[in-house]
This record gives sequence, C-alpha cells and structure tokens, in this order.
Amino acid sequence: MSGELIGAWIAVFLTLAIFSYLYKDNAFYKIAEHLFVGISAGYWTSMFFWTQIQPNLFGRLWPSSRYDSESLWYGIYNAMSWINSSVFPAGGIDKGHEMHLIYLIPFALGIMMLLSVFDKLSWFARWGIAYTVGMAAGLRAYGYLNSNVIAQVRNSTLKFSDPDMPVFALIGNSYFNGIVLLIGTIAGLLYFYFSKEQKGAFGKVTRVGIYFLMVSFGASFGFAVMGRISLLIGRFVDLIAYNGTQYHHATSWILVIMVILLGYSAYKNDDPKGNTAE
Amino acid sequence: MNAILNFISRIGQLDRRWIFLIIALVVLVPLYFPLGLPIRATESTKQVWEAVENLEPESKVLLSMEYGPSTKPELHPMVFGIVRHLLKNEHKIYITCLWPDGQFMAEDLIEKVIEVEFPNKSYGEDYVLLGFRPGGEAVIKGIVGNIRKLYTVDARGSAVNDIPMMSGVNKFIDFDFLFSASAGFPGTIEWVQYASDPTGVPMSTGTTSIQVNEVMPYVQGGQVNGILAGMPGAAEYESLIGVPGIGTSGMDAQSIAHIVIVLFIIFGNVAYFVERNKSQKY
Repeated sequence: MSGELIGAWIAVFLTLAIFSYLYKDNAFYKIAEHLFVGISAGYWTSMFFWTQIQPNLFGRLWPSSRYDSESLWYGIYNAMSWINSSVFPAGGIDKGHEMHLIYLIPFALGIMMLLSVFDKLSWFARWGIAYTVGMAAGLRAYGYLNSNVIAQVRNSTLKFSDPDMPVFALIGNSYFNGIVLLIGTIAGLLYFYFSKEQKGAFGKVTRVGIYFLMVSFGASFGFAVMGRISLLIGRFVDLIAYNGTQYHHATSWILVIMVILLGYSAYKNDDPKGNTAE
Repeated sequence: MNAILNFISRIGQLDRRWIFLIIALVVLVPLYFPLGLPIRATESTKQVWEAVENLEPESKVLLSMEYGPSTKPELHPMVFGIVRHLLKNEHKIYITCLWPDGQFMAEDLIEKVIEVEFPNKSYGEDYVLLGFRPGGEAVIKGIVGNIRKLYTVDARGSAVNDIPMMSGVNKFIDFDFLFSASAGFPGTIEWVQYASDPTGVPMSTGTTSIQVNEVMPYVQGGQVNGILAGMPGAAEYESLIGVPGIGTSGMDAQSIAHIVIVLFIIFGNVAYFVERNKSQKY
C-alpha cells in the first residue's frame, strides 16, 4: 500500500503541476516538464535496448541454443559477458532464436549510424539512413497503393448495379450519399490541381472542393476537442479517486499547497502598478 | 441594445484563464453529480458490435493494443467492453501490442476485467498475452507471414509451442477477426494496409477521437467493420453490451463540456464581429 500511496501522491503532484501552466508558467510546471523529458528519454532508451537490441539482435548473433565455449565466436561473447553479464548472460542469450549471422549487417549499419557523432566519420551514417529509407519506402509502397489508392477508388465509385440501395439515407450507403462522396472527392482533388488558374467554371468546382475540405477540417477540430475533453475527464477521474481517505486526500492537500505557493509567488512578483508577470 | 453589445464585446476580451476554469468546473461537476443523459449508439459503433456478435463460437480473435497511459481514458474503456463481449460469447483472445506501453495496458486489462469478471477463463486456453514486439509495421508483416517466427515466447516467458490455444495458429489468416485499439502509428491504418486488406481477415477498430477522421474512409469503404470513436464510442459500446463502465460515467461531463465549448465559440465569433463593426464605425 505504501508504494501505491507514494505513487498516487506523485501522480497527483505531476498532474496538478502540468495543469498549473494554464494559470502561468511556474516552477511546478518546470519541474514536471523536466521530469517528463528526462524520464521519457531514459524510458525509451531502456525499452528499445531491452526489447529490440538485446533480444532481437544479440539474441540472434549469440543464441544460447548454439552456445559453444570453445568457439572463437562465443569466445568474443564470453569476453563481453565478463564486462556486462546482464546484457550478455553466461551461456548465450536465450530468447528462443536460432543463430542468424546475417544480423551482422544491421549491427554494422547501427554502428555506422552512431558514428554520426564524429565529424570525420559522420558519412558512415548515410548508409544506415539509406537502408532505412529504402526499406521503409519499399515496405509502404504496396500497402498505400493497395489500401489507400486502389481500394479507396473502388469504394468511392457509385454502385448503380445494386438494386437494394436506397435513393436517400442519412447514414450508410445510398445513391445520394454516393453522389455527394463522388462530388466531394473530385472537387477536393481538383482544388489541389495547381497547373490551371482557379477561375471560371474550374474555379467554381474548386470552390466546392474548399467547402468539402472545410467540413472535413471542422470535423477534425470537433474530434480533437472531444479527445482532449476525454483526456481531461480521465485525469479528473484519477484526481477524484486519489482524493479518497485511503490516499489521505492527496488531491486536496497538494492543490491547497500549490495554490498558496503560486499565490505567494504572484504577490511577491507583482509590480507596484499591479501588472503580473506573464 | 448597446449594453448587450458591450457585454458581448467584454466577453470577447475575457482572460483565457477564466475559460479554463469554467471548462474545468463543467467537467468536474457532472463527475460528482451524474445527470444520466441518454446514450444512443451510432451506426459505426453498431457495426463493431454486430461484427463481434456475428462471429462463430470459439472464434480466434486477435486484439492488438496500440496505446499507452496518455490515451488510456479513451481507449481502455472500449477494450474493456470488447473483451467482455468476446469472452461472454466464448471466443479466444490473442493479445498483441505494437507499442511497448500497450503491454502494460494489456496486463491491466487482464487484471481488472478478465481475472475479476471471468474467473473461469484460463490463461493459455481462453486468452493469451503475446506481448510487445518492436518494429512497427514490420511486426504486422511478421504476424501475417509467420506469427511463430515472431513470437517464440509469450509476455510471461512461456514457449508459444506449449500454449494450448496457439495450436493451429501459424499466421494472420488463421485468425477469424482482428480488433485494433489504436492511438496512432503504428496502429489501425497499418493493420488495414498490411494485414486485413491483403488477407481478407475482417477487422474492426477503436481509435482516439483525433484519429477518427483519418480512419473513417476505411470504415466508409468497407475495409474496416465499424469504428469506436473515442470515449463516446466506448460509452455506446458499453450501452450495447449492457455493462456500463468508465466510458458511460464520463459521458455527462463530455456532453456538458461540448455544449459550453460550442457556446464559447458562438460568443467568440459574435464578439469578433461586434468588435469589427465598432472599429469600422470609428
């Protein structure tokens, strides 16, 4: 319980410290902000090392299933094990992998990426970047073409052959909705055609495209507001829970102390004319 | 008339901190004093419910959790609802995570919902947490090609070959359904592009509100069977399965806050035009 109690007080402090920015930039906010940046960097570095590099890279280069203390390859491993036994445990790495020496290539590319910190050797990093860009482009090309281009074009066509489709329906498939979708898609696409000046009949069509885009932006804004309010509700639900007797009213105590200290700080920083420091 | 215009003009110059305070109050008060506003499921939420409801008994469902604590209020309630529905209908759940934080969320789900509400369901026979694997969309490609090559052990360190419910599950096409709870990249869109579209395995999704517009074309095009859109989507799903949860309890606050924000937007615009009119006059 004590661990949970301390965790609750820390969570309340950090939540209220971040919220305090809505009043103005202050020391509580700075503490929370710096903690967040530092802990995030540490957390992600540690997470990626222990979930990716150690099991998937080292685990395939020196798997426990092929461990042989007599071999030169595992001799190198044993030397590294002597330096750091948590990364290179005795007897090889047991993550269920077989030995794949082809992983020496990504290992080398990774080292090359790290060399970018040295000015004279920074050109090595381009090889790693080139591999990553090429691999990602190849991997994504098919997915985008298939799902975003072909499937979307196919699905936005009017299905006149469907005898069950209603002429008008507010929600779902209907001839009316199909026509609206078709007009919106064409008008929206034409708005981004910049090789012809947008005036005359062409200008009127692109104007329709703008209206469709505005509706889309409005919907995006609405969803963004909805999302932010949901997150606010989530934090408030936690703050209410942590204000219970089992947490010794953490929220109330920290809120009162924070308000007093911020009020005192504002009072001390007030200039004679009454302008508060923004 | 002048008094009204002056009042509106003064509202337009209101310190933004008062607006923050008002929003905080309108969110906080309904949480303490719920109004019980009605929740009506939208078409896209019903589609998700129907997709789950129409699954054959003992279907193999892949549940992919791509979110962390920052979007927990939106996505956790919908995953709770989906899992309750799946287990009630006797389906098998295979949980994977494309985000490292997703594994913590999955463990929380198991602890709070599965172990408490479904004590007769056993790990390895009715549900399994395969866990997080790094690599983003490459992980999806790995699951599509050969899940056993990617997952040799589950999140609890058990060999996948020894897990009874993994029998006959070798690649993505062996699953009957996919539900992706997604807060961004990699997430729903990547599952559509690399898994569902190429293999034809049906999928539904639950996303953060901010992602809905991005994912909606896939739903409208029939590539995804419905979408649970943020916290309201979760609340609607809870109402459909008849188990009110965290989503439902937040909906009063959500609705009131939206009304207040709409009023602020209207007042802000009216104040802008009043001010503009004044400056043109003088």
